[in-house]
Amino acid sequence: MSDFGFHLAFWSLAAMTIGGASMIIISRNLVHAVIWLVMSMLGVAGLYLTLSAEFIAVVQVLIYVGAISVLMLFAIMLTPRAERDNSQNIKTAGPAGLVVIMVMIATMWVAIDTDWGAVREAALTEQARLIGESLIKHYILPFEIGAVLLTAALVGAIALARQDDEDAAVHAASLQAELEGDGSVDPVDVVDPPLPSDGEAGS
Amino acid sequence: MIIGLEHYLVLGALLFCIGFFIALSKKNAVGVLIGVELMLNAVNLTLVAFSRFGTAEVALSTQVFVVFIIAVAAAEVAVGLALALVVYRNRQTISVDRTTLLKG
Repeated sequence: MSDFGFHLAFWSLAAMTIGGASMIIISRNLVHAVIWLVMSMLGVAGLYLTLSAEFIAVVQVLIYVGAISVLMLFAIMLTPRAERDNSQNIKTAGPAGLVVIMVMIATMWVAIDTDWGAVREAALTEQARLIGESLIKHYILPFEIGAVLLTAALVGAIALARQDDEDAAVHAASLQAELEGDGSVDPVDVVDPPLPSDGEAGS
Repeated sequence: MIIGLEHYLVLGALLFCIGFFIALSKKNAVGVLIGVELMLNAVNLTLVAFSRFGTAEVALSTQVFVVFIIAVAAAEVAVGLALALVVYRNRQTISVDRTTLLKG
């Protein structure tokens, strides 16, 4: 009976993961694509639970579902006049599909054909304690490098995304003018490249 | 049928290929980042599957590896989205087709 439950969990979570990922390809709206990404990430978190990796599953939900998706939504909301269009590039989609199919055949063949050796029955227990201990004992140098990397990424992201005060004022004024439907005073429009009409479809 | 290592590996390969296709073919920079995130998730899934079904000595190190990958992915997304914001501020678009300053 528990075997049936495990099968049900694996196949439904696999369908959720692959279905969510496929909907990102189909979805034409970028915001919807991020929501489908959240569904796919939740499916992967559930798959971690079926692999009895509870700590990684919780970290997955906290960082991917909680932080990264919200960060992506912020980036979409902060680029209000860019296209919300999530469609494929017609010129590159064909060759990309060909490459991806070749990669898929190769990886599937390796995954199925290789003899992966003995299957362990017992899963790792007390994972949070073991991971924490090995992080500050055996993996102390990568741990410190990771800390420096995160700090550098934080400072770099803030330095890149920061606006000068006069730039911010001009930007806010042009946005305000656009929101009020007043197209006449818009200093940014002078340097605007013309937007394609289909780009506005999903906004 | 017992669900074993191969099921998770095939699932990871499928997820990786979907993410690869999204990263290669989407027009929008945020769409490309979504594809990269899916690829990283597929690799994490494969590593955790090896942690569950592999030998005892790889069980812990793969999970530590997954923690590092998640940390690097978070840093990568933060910097990538900041870059998208800067490109938007200068060009009023984040479409990777229309940021062609380096095109001869």
